[in-house]
Amino acid sequence: MTPPLIGILPFGVVCGVAAQSIGLSAVEAVGMAMIVFSGAAQILAMQLIAAGAPFGVIVLTCLVVGLRLMMYSAAMAPHLKPLPARWRNLLAFVLTDQAFAAAIQRFRSAAHPGEGASYFLGTGAVLWIAWLVSNVAGYLAGNVIPAAWSLNFIVPLCFLALLVPALEDRPTRIAALASGVAVVVLEPLPMRLSLVCAGLVGVAAGLAAARAARVRAGRAR
Amino acid sequence: MTGTLTLWALIVAIGALNYVSRLSFIALFAKLPMPPLVARALRFVPAAMLTAIIVPAVVFESPGAVALGWTNPKVPAVLVASFVAWRFRSVTGTMASGMLALWFVQWALAALRP
Repeated sequence: MTPPLIGILPFGVVCGVAAQSIGLSAVEAVGMAMIVFSGAAQILAMQLIAAGAPFGVIVLTCLVVGLRLMMYSAAMAPHLKPLPARWRNLLAFVLTDQAFAAAIQRFRSAAHPGEGASYFLGTGAVLWIAWLVSNVAGYLAGNVIPAAWSLNFIVPLCFLALLVPALEDRPTRIAALASGVAVVVLEPLPMRLSLVCAGLVGVAAGLAAARAARVRAGRAR
Repeated sequence: MTGTLTLWALIVAIGALNYVSRLSFIALFAKLPMPPLVARALRFVPAAMLTAIIVPAVVFESPGAVALGWTNPKVPAVLVASFVAWRFRSVTGTMASGMLALWFVQWALAALRP
């Protein structure tokens, strides 16, 4: 669970700095980190608060940015199904980009669902605490790390390390390629819709590639 | 949009909707059987979503401006990190090599600039 942890810290610091710079109190900054627990939603909400956007616009924008969480939720669903409802409800709260990327691999290789679930819960809890600590650190200390160090770059690098094992065959590689092209092409869409749309394009491309592979295999037989 | 109460209402509303998104299909498919097409699609979620997060962080120097040239130090850095990730399957190695490559290219570009 160290790698997702390293990936989340610089992001949390950035959020803390943003909260301080738009004039939130320390309690509000911590409350937001505790309750929202999503860097993308927090940064966007704070940008919109600073811009004086109306309540409904801020909530709607954060909802749209959170749509990718529904895709994670669907991917986690079969693994969490055997667990009691209160465990599912608890684990859903710690379903972040980082926890999903780390835990989905573990669920697939785990001998029984409990093993994956305990890894998921442990990773999620550590990430939540690290999220609070890094948000507070950013709020109190400001950007102590020089911008020239580009430490934010560790966030995509962490996801890259988790992506490579997921590219296990031709259809998954096609899914990634299609999603990567789509996210650049769709970037002008409002409210970062490009992210979830690119994800859906990638999934559709993967399904089509898998279907084509099955058809080819059928013909060979 | 400046009142303390409004701000807390906003935080709770965003948090609640985020939680609903996170719980959505976990709760739904715990009760209902999953359609076969959805079950087959799920395998592609990690590859598609992780790529969608990584690519903008690498190719956009500022929002909306694609920078794929060698003057964007993140491009060579991510190539080095991809090789390390593929060859050694090490998460720490991927992050370390990517950061070192980024710093090296940034330093080299600054040194070469007339």
